[in-house]
Amino acid sequence: MATSAWATLSSRAPGARVPRSTADQPPPAADPAGVRNALVLGPRDRLIGELHIDGDVRLGGTVEGQIVATGDVEIDDEAKVNASLAGRDVNIRGHVSGSVTARKRLVVAKSGSLTGDVRVARLVIQDGATFSGNVSMGPAPERVAKPPEPEPIAAGDGEKRSTDGQATPPEAKGTLPEANVAPPQVKVTPPELKSRPPEVKGKPAEGKGKQPEGKGSKPKR
Amino acid sequence: MDVQEAVSQSTPIGAADEHGEAKRDGLRKFTMGPNDSLEGKLSYDGHVNVDGRAEGEFRVTGNIDVAPGAKVKAYLEASNVTIRGEVEGALNARDKLILGKNAKLSGDIHVRRLQIEDGASLNGHVRMGDVEQQGSGG
Repeated sequence: MATSAWATLSSRAPGARVPRSTADQPPPAADPAGVRNALVLGPRDRLIGELHIDGDVRLGGTVEGQIVATGDVEIDDEAKVNASLAGRDVNIRGHVSGSVTARKRLVVAKSGSLTGDVRVARLVIQDGATFSGNVSMGPAPERVAKPPEPEPIAAGDGEKRSTDGQATPPEAKGTLPEANVAPPQVKVTPPELKSRPPEVKGKPAEGKGKQPEGKGSKPKR
Repeated sequence: MDVQEAVSQSTPIGAADEHGEAKRDGLRKFTMGPNDSLEGKLSYDGHVNVDGRAEGEFRVTGNIDVAPGAKVKAYLEASNVTIRGEVEGALNARDKLILGKNAKLSGDIHVRRLQIEDGASLNGHVRMGDVEQQGSGG
């Protein structure tokens, strides 16, 4: 797959720790003690497209598209990333525009700037960092929506009563099915906060003339 | 929902003597203790320290500090805002917002600078940039 090609490409980077291991243990993310697969892109490297990697990513150059890593994602100072990022620990010291999902923790360092929606378990923003977007935090990255409990409508009672009394319609009236009532929120939004800029997220580069999905096979996840 | 038009006759600037009030860098400071509570709108020329329960709308020329354990359900507007307790509502910081490590904030925020410590919790929309004064000219 493309991952191995990138990994060999990254081996010229000085700090790359590409596992040349015993090859008997292919699952890299399974053992935390072992060396994981790692991709390092230097400041002059460039990636446009979609990357799913079983391991860590360190980006220093230009990236457009989507990065999904099982390990950590690190964005260096020089990096210009126009992509959605997903990883365990995400560390941003460069420039990122796109949504970010961190299963563990997102850190925007003081040299970092991030524009995009964020879904994280933990969030650190250092003083001096720039950030704009929506933040949703919680213990679990995916929130499971609870299905509203359907209230049983007492149709049988209504029928019985109609035999006793005078012409009661069989529809049980008065029981409005209010399944989910939104909790009252104190929201004193100032008028200027309403106009949000339209967000372009996860969109690959326009104007380059070629589409990243066109070449090669899309990796399934 | 019942917070909105709650108190307007309780002019806290004059009546702040029963709470603590002290001076710091030339500005007055209004401190709410852990057993104090305030509901309504407050415009205050100075700093506000919240260590109790507060609901409504707070516009402050100085800083707002929300102590650990405090619960605030309000729109907050100040120069610097430091949160170590729980805050629910929109927030406008003309200079900087700090979320301490046990802070919980849910609401849309507009700040110039932002610092979030590990362990803090934030849910809402974040906008950074210069916060222009809105409406409160005099």
